[in-house]
Amino acid sequence: MADGHQHPIEHRFNPYAENGGTVLAIAGADFAVIAGDTRQTEGYSIQTRYAPKVFKLTDRAVLAVNGFQADCSEFVKRVMQRIEWYRHAHSKQMPLKAIARMIQTMLYGKRFFPYYTYNILGGIEEDGTGAVYSFDPVGSYEREACRAAGAASSLIQPFLDNQIYFKNQTPAPGAAPFVPGNLPIDVVLPIVIDSFTSATERHIEVGDGLEMFVVVAKGRDVSQLASLNAEEIPATNPGEERVFIVRRELKKD
Amino acid sequence: MSVDVFRKGGFDFSNARRNAFLEGKGMPLPKATSTGTTIVGCIYADGIVLGADTRATEGPIVADKNCEKIHYITDNIRCCGAGTAADTEYTTAMISSNMELHALSTGRQPRVATAMTMLKQYLFRYQGHVGAALVLGGVDPTGPQLFTIHPHGSVDKLPYVTMGSGSLAAMAVFETTWRAGMTREEAIQLVAAAISAGIFNDLGSGSNVDVCVITKDKTDMLRNYEMPNQRVEKERKYGFRRGTTAWKSESIRSLIASETVVPVAQLVTDEMDIS
Amino acid sequence: MQALKKGEVNLGTSIMAVQFADGVVIGADSRTTTGSYIANRVTDKLTCVHDRVYCCRSGSSADTQAIADIVHYYLQMYSQQYGTAPPVHAAAELFQKLCYENKDGLSAGIICAGWDKEVGPSVYNIPLGGGLFRQPWAIGGSGSTYVYGYCDATYQEGWNKEETIKFVKDTLALAMSRDGSSGGVIRMAVITEEGVERLFVPGTELPRFWEGKEVLGPHKPTHAADPMAIEVEA
Repeated sequence: MADGHQHPIEHRFNPYAENGGTVLAIAGADFAVIAGDTRQTEGYSIQTRYAPKVFKLTDRAVLAVNGFQADCSEFVKRVMQRIEWYRHAHSKQMPLKAIARMIQTMLYGKRFFPYYTYNILGGIEEDGTGAVYSFDPVGSYEREACRAAGAASSLIQPFLDNQIYFKNQTPAPGAAPFVPGNLPIDVVLPIVIDSFTSATERHIEVGDGLEMFVVVAKGRDVSQLASLNAEEIPATNPGEERVFIVRRELKKD
Repeated sequence: MSVDVFRKGGFDFSNARRNAFLEGKGMPLPKATSTGTTIVGCIYADGIVLGADTRATEGPIVADKNCEKIHYITDNIRCCGAGTAADTEYTTAMISSNMELHALSTGRQPRVATAMTMLKQYLFRYQGHVGAALVLGGVDPTGPQLFTIHPHGSVDKLPYVTMGSGSLAAMAVFETTWRAGMTREEAIQLVAAAISAGIFNDLGSGSNVDVCVITKDKTDMLRNYEMPNQRVEKERKYGFRRGTTAWKSESIRSLIASETVVPVAQLVTDEMDIS
Repeated sequence: MQALKKGEVNLGTSIMAVQFADGVVIGADSRTTTGSYIANRVTDKLTCVHDRVYCCRSGSSADTQAIADIVHYYLQMYSQQYGTAPPVHAAAELFQKLCYENKDGLSAGIICAGWDKEVGPSVYNIPLGGGLFRQPWAIGGSGSTYVYGYCDATYQEGWNKEETIKFVKDTLALAMSRDGSSGGVIRMAVITEEGVERLFVPGTELPRFWEGKEVLGPHKPTHAADPMAIEVEA
């Protein structure tokens, strides 16, 4: 047209959209934090200022899902359905690592028409340790100490690498070497909040609200959560793992 | 065969084919900073109110949280720019310069229509490749004047105008609440509300509200008239212990330059050859 | 050729000019669009290029404004050099020359009309490729395709001013109601030896025709408001 070249253009329906937002998860020794903002966008428009991206699956598993919202909600629905079937078949809640493997098979099952979703699964393993599993859209997955995904992942992941994995930091002479995945909860939650307030400053698709899910191991002290206005989500099996949710406002421009 | 060693004047397009080839191979052109913007203008009883947000973006990333989009043309004319940041800045600066020269050679106060004509002819010449979308406003001997100029060089003359990615949000405010013959304060409030609609509902716009009020004898640039998006305080301090960054080798150089000054008189007294 | 450039402002338009004994009546809708957004709902597409010569613009807003500015400049030079007002065909041929010689880079459909002392009233159509046709009446823009039949069936020679105004007003209202790219208000101008009279019909008082009895109830012929005179801007 403008360049004077005439070449055939294939017109095809694009089944995917990109709905912005960002999610992250950090594992501690006996807890995990899974967080996401609540803005949903398309292009330069805000579709809604409150679209949850983080979902409680079981008493010890929380899933953050980001990418194309229609695929996200469909995928979460199917994961929750499979988890309920598991509970009926086995009379127990599905373990975290089993959920992780199931998510891999579900994603790879659509290898040639993928769910356009980036998943991060966080929670407590059967041995009582905090865990984070991160997935690509076709099911490649890995257990990690932390992961950021979505629109602002390229802004947040380097920050997490520095603060959680202590990348580019040398310990003081004579001090013990850094060990990732052992930070206390009163350090991890401020890092999560700062990640999102900073991403809101510099990424246009991030903002409006923040939801942080905290999964704690059985019997762990939760007094640190009280000052953050954490709200407990009632458990299916009381006395085991517990899930709390902390909400924060983010900037709305 | 003679070789033309002298370059003719004008732009050099010899890289255009190379760039098109590279682009076809999947190497996109560098992305220009764009002011995915909300800019507005509004006429009131004895003047013009212009408004702009202050966010500049590079794709989805905020490049500048507090940039200035209301550009100076003359003392009594200002121009808000949306689109490619470099184009709006260069175009308005060049027109500002030419308006000054024009005022000097005619000995008259410059008119808004003159700036409008210069801008539209410049933009039309570049057939939309100079990506400047402008709101031009000012007060001259013919009264308050307000124009929008699109990148291809078309002009609209209206009592209230909006431009940029947030123009629809801002125009919604104007179309519901604008009325003829507003006072200065009412016009400022309306413009601020229109910009706020862009800031909060358009992702390309954000941060603060800049306002500029132009009247017959005075122009008031109300920079950061509203600041509804202040940064919140961080939860943690991120200072690093001295020695955090690893290093492999050390070299210390003195950056202090030292020199000896010998007074000329001393040299002359010695046996200097002055034959 | 003539493809609108990306993001270009379009006068997806209904324009018209009709000759009568004492002069011409020209008219246009007022809508300019960028894609589906109405960038200006009260546009004036009737552009003065000399005292008694006007043009109606359709196509690219930028292109037609630039052409009209150039013709305006040439006609000012003409009247300065010859000390007399230029004839309408001189303006029309300038439009034709610009549109034909730059046809690869322009999308402009122009109707040039006015009054001169040599031939009296005249209407010239300069469609997209840069042709030049003198016609007793001309319609143009995207909305015109809907009303060729109406014009052919309705137009008659020998109308007076009022009959001609009604024809222009009704034709434009019909075109605007069918064409999504046209709309807003109707702007008209009556150009005679005596001068130029600008007329304005608000969007709420456009002539109405059949819209379906389910919507309107039993059809009652209503008296359409007379166009009102407005001030002419220099």
